[in-house]
Order: sequence, then C-alpha cells, then structure tokens
Amino acid sequence: MIGVFFFFVGVLTLAGIYAILAMILNLEAGWAGMWDLGIAGLLAVGGYTFIIVTQTQSDDVVFAPGLPMWMGIILGSLAGGVAALIIGVPSLRVRGEYFLITTLAFAEVIRQLAVNLNSITRGTVGFNQFDRPFEALAEGRGYRVLLLVLVWVVAGIVYILMRRLVHAPYGRVLRAFRDNDPVALSLGKHTNRHRIQTFVLAGLLYGAAAPLYLWFLRIATPSIFSSEVTFVAWTALVIGGIASKSGPIVGSIILLLVTESVALLQGSAEFAVVLASTRFIVLGLVLILVMRFRPAGLVTEQQSLAAASNRVQVRSS
Amino acid sequence: MQNIIFGLITGSILATATVGFSMIRQTEGFINIAHGQFLTLGAFLGFFFVSTAGLNVFLGGLIAAALVGVAGVVVSRIVFRPIADSGPLAQLFTSIGLAFLLFGLIRVAFGASVKFFPTSFGTRFDIGSVNVTVGEILIVAVAGVSVAALALFLTKTRLGTWIRATASNPSLAEVRGVPVERVSVAVWFVASAFAGLAGVMIGLISNVNSEMGFQQILIILAAAVLGGLGSIYGVLAAGLLLGLAMDLSALIIPTAYRSVVAFGVLILVLLVRPQGLFSTATRKEAG
Repeated sequence: MIGVFFFFVGVLTLAGIYAILAMILNLEAGWAGMWDLGIAGLLAVGGYTFIIVTQTQSDDVVFAPGLPMWMGIILGSLAGGVAALIIGVPSLRVRGEYFLITTLAFAEVIRQLAVNLNSITRGTVGFNQFDRPFEALAEGRGYRVLLLVLVWVVAGIVYILMRRLVHAPYGRVLRAFRDNDPVALSLGKHTNRHRIQTFVLAGLLYGAAAPLYLWFLRIATPSIFSSEVTFVAWTALVIGGIASKSGPIVGSIILLLVTESVALLQGSAEFAVVLASTRFIVLGLVLILVMRFRPAGLVTEQQSLAAASNRVQVRSS
Repeated sequence: MQNIIFGLITGSILATATVGFSMIRQTEGFINIAHGQFLTLGAFLGFFFVSTAGLNVFLGGLIAAALVGVAGVVVSRIVFRPIADSGPLAQLFTSIGLAFLLFGLIRVAFGASVKFFPTSFGTRFDIGSVNVTVGEILIVAVAGVSVAALALFLTKTRLGTWIRATASNPSLAEVRGVPVERVSVAVWFVASAFAGLAGVMIGLISNVNSEMGFQQILIILAAAVLGGLGSIYGVLAAGLLLGLAMDLSALIIPTAYRSVVAFGVLILVLLVRPQGLFSTATRKEAG
C-alpha cells in the first residue's frame, strides 16, 4: 500500500511538472497562436545550464564553477530566454506549419549538441549526481512528498501569473493578433514584437522550470529532452483544452494518471517491454480520441468566455 | 568521392521516404508525423519476411512495402477520414498520436532490440577511386526505378492525373468529377508503400530498430520543406541534395553532427526561402 501511495506521489509530481510546461505552452500556443514544437529544446537549455553552472566536480568537464543553486536557476532561466530569442527571431518570420517544423528542428539540433559536446555536457552519460533543494528537511521517501508540494507550489505561481497575464491588456493583444492579425496591426499593435516577447518569456519560464524536471528524474541526459516531452505537454494541453486557464492542469493530471498507471501492473521480465510500450499506445490513443471526439478539450475557452460575459451581464443588471 | 557515393545512397533512400510524405501533405493537406512509423513498420516486416520466413530480399521487401501500403489505407480510413474537416492542425496532432500508437504497437509486436538483416551486400569492387558493393548499387537502382515508376504513374495514367489534379486544387478536382475517395485511397497506398520500401532499404543499409521512425521523420520533414512542402519533384531533388550534404559534411565536421547538418540546412532554407528551393508557384498557406 505504501508503495502504491509513493507511486502516485511520483505520478502527481510529474503531472505537476507537465502542468507547468502545458501552462507555458498555453501562453504561446493558446493565447499567442504560436504552435511551438520545440519545448524540449528550451527545457534542455535551461536544465543543462542549471546543472553545468552548479557542478562542483570538474574531473571530466571543462566548466564546473559550482555556483549556488539559486544562481543556477536564474542563469538557467536566462539561458532559456536567450535560446528562445535566438530561435524565435528567425522562426517567427515563418507561419503556421513552417513554424512547427522550425521549432522542432531547433529542438533536435539542441539535443544533438547535448549528445556531442562531451566536454561540457558529458554526452550521453550526462549528470546523475547533483544536490536538490531542502534535502535537509526530509529524507528518502519523505523527500518525494516534499518535491510534490514544491512542484505544485510552483505550478500555482505559474497559474496565477498566467491568469494575470491573460486578463491584462497584454493578454488581450495576444489573443487579438491570434484571431485577426491585420486588425491588431491596424490598431497600432506591434504584433511581431509581441510574438517575440511572448516567445522569450516562455523561454525564460521553461528555463526556470527545468530544474524541477531534473530534481524529479535525478538525471540529466540528452534522452530526457527528446521530443516526447514536447508531445506529452502538447497532449496534456490539448486534452485539457487549449486557451483555457485550468485546462493544462486538468489535462496533465488526467494524462499522466492514465499513461503512468500502466506501470502499476506487475509482470515478468519479458512482459516489461510490452508494458513500457503500452505507455506510448495509451498516449497515442488518448490523443487520437480527443482530437476526434473533443477537439476543443475538456475545458474550452468558449466556456470561460461565456462565463465571463455572464458575469458582466450580472454586474450590469 | 567515396562520400559522394554514400551521399547518393542516403539521398536516394531519403527521396523514396519523402515522396510519400509529400504526396499526403499535398492531397490530404496535413503533415503526417506517423509517416516515419510506416518506415519502421516496413523495416520490421521486411526483416521478418527475410530472416524468419526466409524469403528472397527483393520479394520480402516488396511484400513488406505492399503490406505497409495496405496498413496506410486502413489507418487513413479509420483515423484520418472522420476528422477530414477538422483542419490541418487537428490532423497533425492526430498523426502525432498515431505515431505514438504505432510506435508502441511495433515495439509490442517485434520487441525493442536492434535487428540486422541477414543479407550480404555482395562483392566489393572499385570504380576509379571509389569502393562500392553490388548491394549498394542495387539500393540506388531500386530507389531510382520506383521513383521513376511513380513519376510515370502520376503523369501517364488517369488515376495519376486525378491525384495531381487533387493535389493542385482539391475542390476544383471534385467539381470536375474526380473520384476523391479513390484518389485518397490510392495516395495513402502509394505513399505508405514508399515509406515501407524506404524502411526496408534503411534496415538493409544500417539496422532495424523501433526508434528509426522518430529519427527519420525529422530528416523527412527537412527534405520535404527543402523541396517545397507541396512539390513532389522538388522533393526528389531535395532528398538527394540533403543526402549529399549530410555525407559530404563528414569531410569537414565530425560525422556525429550529420543530422545537425540536415536541420541546419532546413533552418537556413526556411529563413531564406520559406517556400522551398524548388516550388515555382507561390501557394497561399493556411495559418
């Protein structure tokens, strides 16, 4: 029973991390209309920057300044923002599916660099020894609960931030040029500058969130930053409902509970490959079924819009 | 010189893999991420027929390609047909879901281990300073013949003309009495069969593994964009060019950066000429 409890603690922690990613993605894709398939790349930039600048042992890497953790988080976030700027300025010149392909390609380039720049990233071996925050407070399994709380506190902060953004004039401008670019332009809004700003902001946030992902997995290798991360975050967002505020959270919890619970089934060694593959089958099926039967997701923007206009009517009457 | 030969082999396989992707993009109007998984399926089926069933490699490859073609048609009817009107992004995400589904199913059916075709590449001989095997020449020849056959099919037969009509203007084609359903079935069969064929060839030249679909789809995307997302002939040239670029780059930078080169080229092309290198008429893209 205890095992099952801690298993779900792990699943919900991962769900929280994906909720954070999906909320940032929602800012880019849901409100700003930029369909980014390069999340894994920005996450990798943030994560690797964090891990490299906080490394204290430099036996096989050329650069290990051993900075404190909070500086690692700040630098990781900044690196994510700079990477987003470098990717965004050229990519945002193209629209629609070309933007998808460019961001996907950039993410793959970043991953390949992480594989090949051995002297900085340790290649495919990566890092597996690093400190985690507040480790003095809880030991062993207790730390997993602490991490769960930490992740969801961050998720809560991101949620409040997004809520404020979407209701601010800034968020309204984003949605305006998503829905009708020429009109927003004619109203004197610099749509391209807004897009770049939003993309860089997303990069900063992905970079800042990356350490949570590393603390949970306790490793940093190129394989944890494959495009699967991007697609899981997208699936969570699409299930929950794109452009809705609570959709990413709902979607992440449902998706991760469904795909990870398969691991609870016990099986023999030969069965293990089948079980590991079942995750992908479930993930794929969920995405196909949601796109077929509920393409707008479980929580739709229209609903929240309707709720908003109801509130306005109640107030005015 | 040796690298040019390698580039030609990589390029002809890449062209075979990309041509089907491009046909679906053109007639069905969306990016099919699951196309890479059809390559994997072809490779595993080919491996099964050659090593387990003991068939000749040509026969085994042909049956594998045909079966992948049938699988493509079945999948398109079940998965893509019902959401034909939901727009390219819903279809794109459905294809991502399908890619994961097929990836999982292939791993369940064939296991996650890497497999090698038990096929010999024949004798090695030198032409000038270049060293090639019979098998490598055969791969380039098979790719060339199949693509030429496809070109003939598209230009000389009635079904081929319908496919090209649908590709350039679906609604006009429908108004003019083109049987849209039959065109769609034909496109899915041809496109998936070519993917299966390319998968068998990749399996022969390197190995068969379950990850190859996700690896190849990125390079296929690069080749398709390079050739212009809508153009079938441009894609052939782009596939060859990209193959050459990847293998020739090995002369100046480490081979580990092979795929980085492919994406570097892609990013560069998108920035300089987003409509692709070979597209003549500019088409208005949605989004």
